[in-house]
Amino acid sequence: MANSANTNTVPKLYRSVIEDVINDVRDIFLDDGVDEQVLMELKTLLPRCLGICGWHSLWENKLMQSRAVDGFHSEEQQLLLQVQQQHQPQQQQHHHHHHHQQAQPQQTVPQQAQTQQVLIPASQQATAPQVIVPDSKLIQHMNASNMSAAATAATLALPAGVTPVQQILTNSGQLLQVVRAANGAQYIFQPQQSVVLQQQVIPQMQPGGVQAPVIQQVLAPLPGGISPQTGVIIQPQQILFTGNKTQVIPTTVAAPTPAQAQITATGQQQPQAQPAQTQAPLVLQVDGTGDTSSEEDEDEEEDYDDDEEEDKEKDGAEDGQVEEEPLNSEDDVSDEEGQELFDTENVVVCQYDKIHRSKNKWKFHLKDGIMNLNGRDYIFSKAIGDAEW
Amino acid sequence: MAYQLYRNTTLGNSLQESLDELIQSQQITPQLALQVLLQFDKAINAALAQRVRNRVNFRGSLNTYRFCDNVWTFVLNDVEFREVTELIKVDKVKIVACDDTGSNTTE
Repeated sequence: MANSANTNTVPKLYRSVIEDVINDVRDIFLDDGVDEQVLMELKTLLPRCLGICGWHSLWENKLMQSRAVDGFHSEEQQLLLQVQQQHQPQQQQHHHHHHHQQAQPQQTVPQQAQTQQVLIPASQQATAPQVIVPDSKLIQHMNASNMSAAATAATLALPAGVTPVQQILTNSGQLLQVVRAANGAQYIFQPQQSVVLQQQVIPQMQPGGVQAPVIQQVLAPLPGGISPQTGVIIQPQQILFTGNKTQVIPTTVAAPTPAQAQITATGQQQPQAQPAQTQAPLVLQVDGTGDTSSEEDEDEEEDYDDDEEEDKEKDGAEDGQVEEEPLNSEDDVSDEEGQELFDTENVVVCQYDKIHRSKNKWKFHLKDGIMNLNGRDYIFSKAIGDAEW
Repeated sequence: MAYQLYRNTTLGNSLQESLDELIQSQQITPQLALQVLLQFDKAINAALAQRVRNRVNFRGSLNTYRFCDNVWTFVLNDVEFREVTELIKVDKVKIVACDDTGSNTTE
């Protein structure tokens, strides 16, 4: 097998590094006062305890997710963890909160616990809007329903924030449609009722700003029929505004929105400060964003735009270069480095012994490198290369 | 202090992400995470120096080169990496190489 050399050594090396690091940091952990139980808690969530403490199983899960290392885990675990790549553990507080609430179910079945653990180390995506915290709950209860790991994985295969409508397939084959609204709210509709999801809405009302509150959904399987409406979660305060068509509240004005939010949340700090706004629901707003007599403004703006365009053409500005300055755009010969969208940027991280150049012939003498090529990891102690520039 | 060079690898990134999650859930402090990463730097440097014994050759065309702060960064195109056992071809690869004589001071 041609691949045996590197595929065997890489996971072994990684494991040994992990173990070394774990051993070394355990003392640091204890010195820092971090409870060993933290490590143990994570450890119990692991399907296979390859190492000493559970904390680094989180690490191994990540390695698995990257799929750069073969043979690190079984395929089943890989399947499960691949799904986790698409999850966003943004509401970590609530994850933590749910941890306490659901301590017992976690311990029932190790496999199920594993799925929960897998949830938590999901890959992070910075641009993700609010993630449904409930996913962890959803999974917990799906675990309680003795879902297999694969089924759970399929259930979790929801790239949050990517598609507007997502369907969760529960273990009994139910379709839960998760609709993601524009403002990041998620509604869960239950077409059928075999696995019922109870959902608690815990909006976080924050005065002084329009915040889409986090929805905590505690999902508990319930037998019997439940109307689909119970599955629908209502969401942030903004909905209240959309329902109130008589008042168009510009989003830039943060003050009035919390005014109404406060009312619903029984907090009343701001309404008094904005007496005009509190009366707003009774009065049809015709100015501001609801201004209908904007024709004059548009004409004026058009004049400005024309002037600006002329200036741009004269200056050869950076914007709109393609259409307005075709001559200049051809001067740049070099390619962008990020010209293509690719999954793997092939990277080699190493140290150099010697770099030599003769005219345009380059010679590289490298050592101690880790390569990620075509998605896979390779390691070398020495590398010699040639290239022509 | 060992190079922090290897933090941007599969292993290093997964470690950092795991540490970030623990920080998010407030199970560890950022300071502790930093200590862990420093320990990782030492471990990976040592492991690569001692436990790996294989050689790779490669050939390609050099697209760009950069030498700054004693760090070489190359971008090569149409590269073939050849190990005794296998051949790997890539359209584009970025090579980041630190000087092997001594290590940088950490930030």
